[in-house]
Amino acid sequence: MARTKGYPEALEKKLHDQRFYGEDSNPEFTKNVKAISRTIAHMCYQCGTCTGSCPSAPRSSYRIRKFMRRAVLGLENEALTDPDLWLCTTCYSCADRCPRDIIPTDVIMSMRNLAFKRDIVPVNFLKTVTAIYASGHGVPNNDVNRAAREKIGLPRDPPTTHSYPEYMPGIRKILDHYQLKANADRIIKEREG
Amino acid sequence: MSEAGANHKFAFYLGCIAPNRYPGVESASIKAMKKLGVELVPLKGASCCPAPGAFGSIDLNVFYAMAARNLVLAEQMKMDIALVCNGCYKSIWEVNHKLKHNKDLRDAVNEVLKEVDMEYKGTINVYHTAELLYNDKFIGVDKIRDSVTNPLTGARIAVHYGCHLVKPHKDREFEKEVMLNTECPTWMEELVAALGATPVEYRNKMQCCGAGGGVRGYDIVHALDITNEKLINLKEEKVDALTDICPFCQLQFDRGQIEIQEKFGVTYNLPVLHFAELLGLAQGMSPQDLGLDLHGISCEPFLQKVL
Repeated sequence: MARTKGYPEALEKKLHDQRFYGEDSNPEFTKNVKAISRTIAHMCYQCGTCTGSCPSAPRSSYRIRKFMRRAVLGLENEALTDPDLWLCTTCYSCADRCPRDIIPTDVIMSMRNLAFKRDIVPVNFLKTVTAIYASGHGVPNNDVNRAAREKIGLPRDPPTTHSYPEYMPGIRKILDHYQLKANADRIIKEREG
Repeated sequence: MSEAGANHKFAFYLGCIAPNRYPGVESASIKAMKKLGVELVPLKGASCCPAPGAFGSIDLNVFYAMAARNLVLAEQMKMDIALVCNGCYKSIWEVNHKLKHNKDLRDAVNEVLKEVDMEYKGTINVYHTAELLYNDKFIGVDKIRDSVTNPLTGARIAVHYGCHLVKPHKDREFEKEVMLNTECPTWMEELVAALGATPVEYRNKMQCCGAGGGVRGYDIVHALDITNEKLINLKEEKVDALTDICPFCQLQFDRGQIEIQEKFGVTYNLPVLHFAELLGLAQGMSPQDLGLDLHGISCEPFLQKVL
């Protein structure tokens, strides 16, 4: 603000534009993205190296640079309701090459966290949560594999929560602390009835 | 470095896909590493790392707390962790690193762990077995070469590094500096050559397998299309097998080939083996010992070449 004090009205207007806040902007969104991702997301100068490095870009409309811009401009609704948000494979190629050391992948992850708070989340993510709540494993053991393990001289179940279910109450307590299971169940029920 | 590392004894963090889909990776890692002087002790009661794509996307705080629980189990054993999966490395190594360096995160995590009578102290280190194999402080390429009784001579093997062991390299802290090269690394190729096989370079080898970030579950065709691009590039080089250091990548390349056949009508029949499985073979373990019949794509053509 101080920078523009006393400037002619036309210039004042122009500089105000440069602060990028339009009707759709939510400056809090930029702050939240930065805090959750622990990045300097606002420093993005839109060089596009991230999109150029992205394996998802050539086969979809997903453009990580666009999400970086939305982070800077505070375009919360536009970012969180875009289905492309979930096409990042988190390969971190963009992070490796970003000339500003921003780690765009983590910016995407923070936006997904914020989307989840508004119940915007694909169901497959929630199913991993319910699987871990049930057995401690995202990909649990099965009978074919148990037989194969036995055949190669391993115990039928690995020495994880599968063999030590007494560890499960602790795991459930941690997940319940964040009400993750309750929220996952609720959203899955809403979607699938 | 803690005492545990110096004794070459590690808490073996298994994850999900290795023990529950490719148990040969678990068994080969234990046996092969033992021959190389590294003992892998079961990490009892460990859970999913948790899956960095799914949990990281939903709520990073839960991601930190769940990974910290696994770390505490190893802290209680006073042992460094060794693991066999890039996804697990992302969760377990990275959360360990973040909690060690950020007091605010550590305090928040310990607040939750208190409810289950645990405390994260930050007393251990986390290693991928590939890193232990390559780093001569633990094992090293020469020792691996000496342990080979059945050299994989004549086999052309390409490497899929995967993403989360090496990237983002700005955050990683490998003792071996060559492991920080993520544009065109060659340290895994050195390991493949130590087994007597011929390592093969191919176009865009550092590209992701396509499965990560929850994309495999969210949009399987999109994920498979990324995998397919890699398979096309691999086919150009006429490789006999692809080796990986991540069971999730292995699942995507192995089972993924069957899905690609169904959805795109393209057949590759490219055997996909975790480096632990290759190492087991080269040290004389039989395909039966390794449970290679569990693989979606038959390893037979490759085995005929090397056995």
